[in-house]
Amino acid sequence: MGTRRYLPNGRGPAYSRRDFLVRSGLVGAGALSLPALLAACGGESSSDSTTAPGGTGTKTLVFDNWPEYLDGETAAAFAADTGINFTYDETYNDNNEYFAKILPLLSQGKTIDADILAPTFWMAQRMLSLGWLQKLDRTKIPNAANLRDDLKNQSWDPNNDYSLPWQTGVAGIAYNIKATGREVKSVEDLFAPEFKGKVGMLTEMRDTLGLVLLGLGKKLDEVSTYDDAVEAFDKLEKAKNDGQIRQFTGNDYMDDLDKGNFAVCVSWSGDVLQLSKDNPDVRFVIPEEGGTSWYDTMVWMKGSQNGDAVAEWMNYVYDPANAARITAEVQYMSPVKGVREELVKLGGDVAALAEDPLLFPDDATLARLQSWGTLSEEEEAKFDERFSSIVGA
Amino acid sequence: MSVLALGIVAIGAEWVTGSLSLVVMAVMLVSVVTIIWTAFMGGLDTRRALAPYGLLKPGVLWLALFFLAPLWSMLQMSLSTKESRFDFFPTFSWEWSNYTTAFGDFGAQFMRSFLYAGIATLLTLLIGYPLAYVIAFRGGKYKAVLLGLVAVPFFTSYLIRTLAWQNLLADSGPIVGVLDFTGLTTVFEAVGIMDNGKLMNTPASVIGGLTYNFLPFMILPIYVSLEKIDVRLVDAAMDLYSSASGAFRRVVLPMSLPGVFAGSLLVFIPAAGDFVNAQFLGNPNTTMIGNVIQDQFLRQLNFPVASAMSFVLMAIITVSVLAYAKVMGTDDLV
Repeated sequence: MGTRRYLPNGRGPAYSRRDFLVRSGLVGAGALSLPALLAACGGESSSDSTTAPGGTGTKTLVFDNWPEYLDGETAAAFAADTGINFTYDETYNDNNEYFAKILPLLSQGKTIDADILAPTFWMAQRMLSLGWLQKLDRTKIPNAANLRDDLKNQSWDPNNDYSLPWQTGVAGIAYNIKATGREVKSVEDLFAPEFKGKVGMLTEMRDTLGLVLLGLGKKLDEVSTYDDAVEAFDKLEKAKNDGQIRQFTGNDYMDDLDKGNFAVCVSWSGDVLQLSKDNPDVRFVIPEEGGTSWYDTMVWMKGSQNGDAVAEWMNYVYDPANAARITAEVQYMSPVKGVREELVKLGGDVAALAEDPLLFPDDATLARLQSWGTLSEEEEAKFDERFSSIVGA
Repeated sequence: MSVLALGIVAIGAEWVTGSLSLVVMAVMLVSVVTIIWTAFMGGLDTRRALAPYGLLKPGVLWLALFFLAPLWSMLQMSLSTKESRFDFFPTFSWEWSNYTTAFGDFGAQFMRSFLYAGIATLLTLLIGYPLAYVIAFRGGKYKAVLLGLVAVPFFTSYLIRTLAWQNLLADSGPIVGVLDFTGLTTVFEAVGIMDNGKLMNTPASVIGGLTYNFLPFMILPIYVSLEKIDVRLVDAAMDLYSSASGAFRRVVLPMSLPGVFAGSLLVFIPAAGDFVNAQFLGNPNTTMIGNVIQDQFLRQLNFPVASAMSFVLMAIITVSVLAYAKVMGTDDLV
């Protein structure tokens, strides 16, 4: 399900958006049954990725990533250039859901199939604190020097010993102008009575709650305790009880937005930019009150034996030329320096992306973006509990 | 036999570890050998006496491994506490508060599940009974074809069928389009089936999904019990000056009650625990208990409370089924 295999001598399959929309439903569906078994039975044994020590066999690499987050060309080129059997999965639909899926395995000392994951920064931080990540061999990843300066020195991993950002982006508001009948500008539009029952929100708490907090005029990095956010939670709960919110979704909101079931929704910039290529009615806006910025970051999972392949992959995607190709497809902000110049070199439609304010935000836009600080484990538990009581009940 | 089953339960539930499991295995082995030995040495009579147990064996062992063992480990889990937030091995501690949490925090979802499942059961009965009646008494040579058509949806996955409804009921989909065109939208909004021009993600779409998905489970048992009825009994009733409706009420209906009973159970029980319809066709205010259990298990990682909720759900269903059986007087029916 959602698996693409790239063999060194072959070409990977290409998927159209239509395929994706169909498959995204299936992925969501699969996520329901398999982890149910895992959790209920206390963990099935996974097919442990055992590679012959000494690296005599062909090298393999498994990357489990969010949907629509890599172009097929880069994946196939990587496999061809390096001779690595590259398996690319798109089964990462939601941080918490994926975490719950792997918890039974990793806490029993088993390994998961994936060598690399790209969780959102706070989830990567949690995985690190649980001891699930392996230290990267930075000497094998010289291109990591291309990391954007503003992404360096993250408090939880200051030297990027355990993580390298995959893509960064903005959570803002997407709308289908056919369904709204007007432009949307403000967080308040998510609560506008005219869109009652046609508003989508993300199960990703920091993005949904972040926008509500911004709408209330709070500064996200100053929100560190539950009390700071209780007003936003109340607002969200009231909207839910009033039937304002149609559904809380993971990465699978694009179908509803495309069809107009969601008139407005909390969404991630790149997804919507991709979707608007096919459906010009779909638009993305960073609301007046601001948007949240986040990054997903590549990590090397405990138990994976394919350290060399992991390093080769990270080095490969931190080459600006390769990073630019990914950016052109996924339309998120690249964490790699020099992508803008590479995009211009590629020419044509792609060159226009170099001027896209959502990919290379100007200072005015950057000033409107805010990111979450670190929540202590205890406070995060309170946040999660309240959020889940709103979302799941 | 029972020793074997118990042993399997114990091992299946990871109840025993280390040397104790060896003892259990040894006891199981000895009991198997003893049974076989008695069967062969004891002659024909003993073998005859043991035959029923032999026939029961596959079923009992299967249930012991795949029903009783998980049930036991879940019972343990429901009385456990988590050491830390991401503790995957909660420790058993007679933690009854899991049950009060299950009831206290999620009472509304329990009520809603039974309400939705109840309405869906009634709807399937109202739709299914006449259909089964027509197939059984008027089907003629097309009986098999008609029954086949009832079962055809099963050829497609449950999930795909539910997802298909998303397209049918979408705001820009065909059904809403027709309703808008004919002006029925206003009527539907007035009776509360539609909400702000949408049919999807409403209580109606969830109940509709449940009804649709479980309908065959109602039709088939009713058909079976109607099929067995001798039509001449109706003729006899008419000969005795009964009206057509009287004949149905006093002859056909009572004789088909076992089917209605079986059908209601087959629809109500899975519908009450269902989470697929509420997940794909519902909104955040139509969450059913299945969704909460799923959320607690798979996102909140709160295995103890999720297990407690599963047990409460099971208990409520068992009690209500027993009560239903009492009211329907099933002992006389079957």
